[in-house]
Amino acid sequence: MNNYWPWWAGAIGLALVTINYTLTTDRSLGVSSAWDRVLHWRSERRLEVLDAQFADDRALVDAFAAATAEQFGTGPGAPTLLDAEHGDAQAAGQDVGPTAVESAPVASLRPAPLVTQAALLLSILLGGWVAAVTAGRFQIRFDMGNGYRELVTANPTTMIGVLFVGGVLVGFGTRLAGGCSSGHGLSGCGRLRPVSILATAVFFGTAVLVSFLLWKVI
Amino acid sequence: MRTRGGVLVANIIAGLALGYIVCNIGFGDYAELNRMFTFQDLRMLLAFAGAVAIIVVVFAVLGVRRTPGRIHAGVVPGAVLFGTGWAISGGCPAIPIIQVASGYLPALITIAGVGVGMLLCGWANARYFHLDRGSCGL
Repeated sequence: MNNYWPWWAGAIGLALVTINYTLTTDRSLGVSSAWDRVLHWRSERRLEVLDAQFADDRALVDAFAAATAEQFGTGPGAPTLLDAEHGDAQAAGQDVGPTAVESAPVASLRPAPLVTQAALLLSILLGGWVAAVTAGRFQIRFDMGNGYRELVTANPTTMIGVLFVGGVLVGFGTRLAGGCSSGHGLSGCGRLRPVSILATAVFFGTAVLVSFLLWKVI
Repeated sequence: MRTRGGVLVANIIAGLALGYIVCNIGFGDYAELNRMFTFQDLRMLLAFAGAVAIIVVVFAVLGVRRTPGRIHAGVVPGAVLFGTGWAISGGCPAIPIIQVASGYLPALITIAGVGVGMLLCGWANARYFHLDRGSCGL
């Protein structure tokens, strides 16, 4: 039953996913932020519509600037007003590091489109299902396994309550801390971000403490 | 891969791989998770720590930009709540999805709780905390 991967295979796999995602998208992989954005899809959609309008306005201004340059001989490389405004916004709000590529396309520094976040969550479901089926671990069940029954509760009603409260704590906590085990733990610690190292140490330390309580005390 | 379509493909590939790998490591198995957090079995801990070590080295070699991040007032209390929730439910935001994918239907309750918790945090932050929490993964 416990035909899980050895630690080194897991380490290489997790690292490859994180590195590949970062290098191909110039973004950090974060599941809790994907959840958050999908949950707030209405406001996210409004922002995307506004963003698209901004992009149209920017194209219009660029066209005017090009026509003006052609008419009056102004250098084509002169930044437009919107360029400057957008650049400031990125520097202040998007946490751009000291070696950020200044000439990167504007799109790369915007939040990932909402649909991509929903796709990430659905793909995790599909990937997990394929893994469970191919490893022979897939089994529809109405409990959380023997370990949960022995360590937390065997009562189905209590189990539902504990799972819900646990989920609320995870949701509230990850949003309050600004990330989870993938965003802070893998991507953030991988980039040596102090906030991610602190968050990971605290959430892991707390989980260790609570797990020892469940194992030895409760 | 920085266009809308490119990011979509990258997210699908990352999601499929993440789901497959995390499930095969055993993070969806509550007993395995408790053994990791109580140091009875270091396999999953080494997988996580090993991944971080590899990422640090590769990012340093490739000169991937560092995003400094700001330590704000929500980091420690948020991480304490998250750690507690992870230990009692067995789920960080990705893991309940994998538990459902493995057939553990009660993990749907955990997913509902995660959603409620995130909405509650947004409401509480707007009303009381007023923290600029930042976010990873954008």
